[in-house]
Amino acid sequence: MTITKRPLMYWVKTSNLKLQILLLIVILVTVTTRVIPLEMQKKIVNQAIGMKKIDLLFLYCGFYLASVVIASGMKFVITYLQTLLGQQALTRIRKEMFDHILQLPLSFFRKTSSGLVVSSLVTEVVSASEFVGQAIAVPVTNLLTLLAFGGYMFYLNPLLACLSLIIYPIVIAIIPRMQRRSNEANKQRVDITRALSSKIGETISGIHEVHANGSYRIENRKYGVFVEQLQRTRITWTLYKQGIKTLNNFFQNLGPFTLFIVGGYLAIHGRFDLGALVAFLSAYDKLYDPWKELMDFYQTYQDASVSYVRLMEYYDLEPEHLTEPIDREPFPLKGAIQVKDLSFTVAGGIQLLKQVSLELNQGEQLALIGFSGSGKSTLAQCISQLYTYTGGSVQIDGHEVNDLTKRDLALNMGVVAQSPFIFDGTIKENLLYSCQAMLEDNGAESGEELPTLDEMIEVIQQVGLFVDILRFGLNALLAADQEAELVDKLIRVRENFQNQFGRDLAEFVEFFDEERYLYFSSVATNLIFGNPNKPEFTADQLANNQYFLDFLDEAQLKNSLISLGHQLAEQTMDILANLPPDEIFFQQSPISSDEFEDYRALVGRTAGARLHDLSEQEQHLYLKLSLRFTPGLHKIVALPEVVEKLILDGRFLFRKKIQQDHPGVISFYRMSEYIHSQTILDNILFGKPRTDHPKSQERINQSIIHLLIEEDLLEQIVELGMNFRVGTKGDRLSGGQRQKLAIARVFLKAPPILIMDEATSALDNASQKRIQNLLETKWKGKSTLISVIHRLDTIKGYDKIGVMKAGKIIEMGTYEELLAKKGVLYEFIHGAKTGAQ
Amino acid sequence: MNSSTEPRQAPSEYQANLEILLQIPLFSGLPIEALKLLAYLCRREIFKEGEIIFQQHEMDENAYFIIDGKAKLILENGGDEEISEFSESAFIGGLSMFYGMKRLFTLKAETQVTCLMLSREKFQKTLEQFPTITGKLFEGLVKSIYEWEIRVIGEHDQDCARCRGSIGVTLV
Repeated sequence: MTITKRPLMYWVKTSNLKLQILLLIVILVTVTTRVIPLEMQKKIVNQAIGMKKIDLLFLYCGFYLASVVIASGMKFVITYLQTLLGQQALTRIRKEMFDHILQLPLSFFRKTSSGLVVSSLVTEVVSASEFVGQAIAVPVTNLLTLLAFGGYMFYLNPLLACLSLIIYPIVIAIIPRMQRRSNEANKQRVDITRALSSKIGETISGIHEVHANGSYRIENRKYGVFVEQLQRTRITWTLYKQGIKTLNNFFQNLGPFTLFIVGGYLAIHGRFDLGALVAFLSAYDKLYDPWKELMDFYQTYQDASVSYVRLMEYYDLEPEHLTEPIDREPFPLKGAIQVKDLSFTVAGGIQLLKQVSLELNQGEQLALIGFSGSGKSTLAQCISQLYTYTGGSVQIDGHEVNDLTKRDLALNMGVVAQSPFIFDGTIKENLLYSCQAMLEDNGAESGEELPTLDEMIEVIQQVGLFVDILRFGLNALLAADQEAELVDKLIRVRENFQNQFGRDLAEFVEFFDEERYLYFSSVATNLIFGNPNKPEFTADQLANNQYFLDFLDEAQLKNSLISLGHQLAEQTMDILANLPPDEIFFQQSPISSDEFEDYRALVGRTAGARLHDLSEQEQHLYLKLSLRFTPGLHKIVALPEVVEKLILDGRFLFRKKIQQDHPGVISFYRMSEYIHSQTILDNILFGKPRTDHPKSQERINQSIIHLLIEEDLLEQIVELGMNFRVGTKGDRLSGGQRQKLAIARVFLKAPPILIMDEATSALDNASQKRIQNLLETKWKGKSTLISVIHRLDTIKGYDKIGVMKAGKIIEMGTYEELLAKKGVLYEFIHGAKTGAQ
Repeated sequence: MNSSTEPRQAPSEYQANLEILLQIPLFSGLPIEALKLLAYLCRREIFKEGEIIFQQHEMDENAYFIIDGKAKLILENGGDEEISEFSESAFIGGLSMFYGMKRLFTLKAETQVTCLMLSREKFQKTLEQFPTITGKLFEGLVKSIYEWEIRVIGEHDQDCARCRGSIGVTLV
């Protein structure tokens, strides 16, 4: 049974049975212990106090105390068990819902925003789980308690008991009516909350558009409508909920009134002893809690079922295709594709594809071209089962695509989407994403293994990612205590680099030269000119290091640096003060985005202040900034010549002092030593690149790759690079890199059918050609390829070319055939040539 | 301590950039806050004689202002056809700030060229912060295309039948 068809009670029935039984036992014990205090109360008043027996008083009080302690302890155990059951149910619902939602057809997600799914899985399911935790324990405990107290009251005096319990049937008659109203309001609340989260999700994902149009008011208004509706509904809902509680309370409080009148009368006439009346009143009082809890439970149940039913209704959609094949192994497909009279109609009767037919043998390659909106991508997506076509047929090796399971396709097909999605994680994880998914599906026994490092390197070379990943590897830091062998080799690479390329590349690299100021390193690095071996001397701790501060004083640098820091902060604020803390704005300032607010406040506070006016704390903050100041990067302030000279002199003073006072704390930059605080690249260069312009990167890369090959290090560095984290949605990669990565992961999977939807659109010419070449040499005859193409100069090598217009294939044939025909393709190519003039 | 009022200090590269941006007609309508941000975000680059600044058919999402030096624009169509020459104060590639395109020409440094480069990404980030300037920028862009076409029509040779197809860009 799919999850959305299950009733709420399913989760109670399938919860941990042992825990539920344990819970029941604990409850039974608790209920028994609850009556003891009442009996003791009576005994204390009548026997101990009445008879003036101290020993009995102690005894009964002891019992009283013991039962209260046990009851409290039990209560705790009950709560624990309930929470455990509830949270277990919650986790199950969340996991199974997510699994279900992932499999829903793509069309579902066009109308459902991610915000809505988030709120469903995060908040809406909570009330259901609360109910599951309470479902057995609460009603059973409280009903039993009620029965126990009620029975006890009958045992004391049947008449009084009847009188005081008569209100309950009345309450039971009234409350469900009110609850129905409350449920109505709750249903509305769920719907409005859902609309609201959709709206928020939409606005946030369209925030660029909102900013660009300045449409803050429009968005506020749309949002406001929902918020106000929600307010009204919540008020109604709360009124009914509280109304039920109040009514309940009222009846409950009427009870003692009857008791006093009747009980008092009986006591005065000596037909009822005082102790019994006290016990009776207490018993009645004790009825209140279980009754109230039952009421609360009733409401929890009602709210939970409303939210739950609403939730399940929304997602009550069958996945269009089975995940796993039943009664058979997944098909190993060869990749012959036959499309016949395929049509695809979407809501509103709009036909995106009309009677499309085509045939591809195993290993044949088809290029689809045409204007945007002509249905190229739609056709590719219908063949890859991403869209469920509405008419005609698509067959792969004679199997109808709509009847295949997801697993059949995942095993046999690789899709590169127009704007592929890259997940947060390392390059390697993304590279292996498709293979990993396939492997996990097959289970461990299949004997297949993930691609080896060599295979991965081969593929990243093929798609043109090798240099990029090498670059990531070169930007890695090596920890001081590991990779000793690698470090030795890198030192050799450094020496060779200096000998062979040092002079040529001097314009691109600023070498670590102790006689010169380093414009592409921070002030701190310029002073220390070495690698710290103690945490107190690392760059971010220097401003807190008293020894270093004393040194700055002695070097006549402290005041100039504080003043420089002040200038840096002021200038940054002048430019960025009213902007959101977007990372891109902070790359060229020594202030990081999370310190921004602090420095803004600081600049505001110290505006126009003289150096001596600043407190020690303020001086410290400014000093911190100036120690990070890197003139080659932070162009907002020019480094005064005087300060530059002082820093250079300071470098030598510092070295002299620290070698005397704390020898070994700093490893000074030497050609023969690895610098662990710098990247591998900077270590090889023994300096910093002056610019990140591609032309200089390329020059540096060329020379370094050559040297790395000599030392047999290339693969090791690339392996380090594959551990580079790409950021959420791969945002630390360029558009081209993301596309290459997506192509690489499909090539690595090597499926018999390849679907590429404008897969190379963001690539430079060279990469595009390389990949086209690869498709023609390596993949032709091996994998059937359907490629949606936007550039006409890559189509020559395809076996077939389909030209699409308004949902139809209007021309189909080889490149030569279509050109000879002088039809639409001919016009395209001819037109493109004149257009470029 | 107030840097802007005390002349004793050399101006920073940022300040020099800001002065350059103030000269560029496309940016003339922008508020000073936006120009400051752009001046802060752009970078300087030096190209040696003979180096390619951008390459025909390659994606290039930068605009360039030549601070110093000369560069020539080449159309690689079979052979290399030299189209024009840019020198000091030329601003090239404003359209790339709005749409990522593959270059239709190659720009090559004739002498050593120092230029100010602004990337589309950073420009777009600035636009997001000052959404109201979009209109001004488009006005400036359209105006320069319009003036371009007036010049082309003025120089149009009526006997050249093949040239007729290439005019009319203002009608897009």
